[in-house]
Amino acid sequence: MKRFIFAFIAAFIFIFLWGWFYNGVLLKDVFNEAQSLFRPRGEMMSLFHWIIIGQAGLALAFVMIYASGFAGGGIAAGVRLGIMVEIFAVGARCAIYATQPFPAKLLVLISIGGFIEMIVTGVIVGAIYKPAVARTSS
Amino acid sequence: MNWKKFFIAFVAAFGFLFLFGFLWYAILMHGAHQEVRALFRTESEFNEHFLWLVLGHIVMALFLTLLCVRFVPAGGAGPCALLGLLVALVYEGPHLITFAVQPITTKILCGWIVGSLIQFIVACSIIGTIYKTSSPVQGRILNS
Repeated sequence: MKRFIFAFIAAFIFIFLWGWFYNGVLLKDVFNEAQSLFRPRGEMMSLFHWIIIGQAGLALAFVMIYASGFAGGGIAAGVRLGIMVEIFAVGARCAIYATQPFPAKLLVLISIGGFIEMIVTGVIVGAIYKPAVARTSS
Repeated sequence: MNWKKFFIAFVAAFGFLFLFGFLWYAILMHGAHQEVRALFRTESEFNEHFLWLVLGHIVMALFLTLLCVRFVPAGGAGPCALLGLLVALVYEGPHLITFAVQPITTKILCGWIVGSLIQFIVACSIIGTIYKTSSPVQGRILNS
């Protein structure tokens, strides 16, 4: 349980920092090109707690899936899970592209960032979380 | 891996995801989406991009089938439905983030959350029912 909590906290911190750096700094200008689809900055800041809750929920669900079916495989299993989760997200983004007028460039860049985010999250979770059996045998 | 069962499970999952998506998001939530019409493509634009919708659902169905087979190799509706719940939870995080950054209404947020929960739980249980091996090996999710 202790390692589960550590893995969750580490994954959450990484997802938060990466989300801020990639989406908030690196892609700032690309997001500005589709400004009409987003809330004004002030409104966004007043709803910032939903971003925190969303990222915490994502990190928690990721660690839960890893702990339930991938633990024991270590970092490689974490990376595999990260890739699978992101492939799913790419599928969802294709559906979003069909229904919302986002520039294709923005969705491609978000997907590239998403792959990096989920692979690194997988590495972090795989390195920290070890099932009880694996810990006692090593 | 039983490729025949895998393929049938994938096709069934795709069929369900697509039909449920149409009923839930396009029919039941049509009124809610109309409240923020500027966020969505016009009908003619949507028709031009329809193939992306199909492609997206194919990718999601493939991912769910792969994950169920990898995660619950013995299959079964119950364990796979539990996996579907976990996948839906992964997906709820981005919904909350979307609510913070895009001017969608609370009604839309709730509709998307409930819709994806039903969609992924049922899709995974369909996959688990079809991809059921005769092996006595239990799914790993049960042993966790």
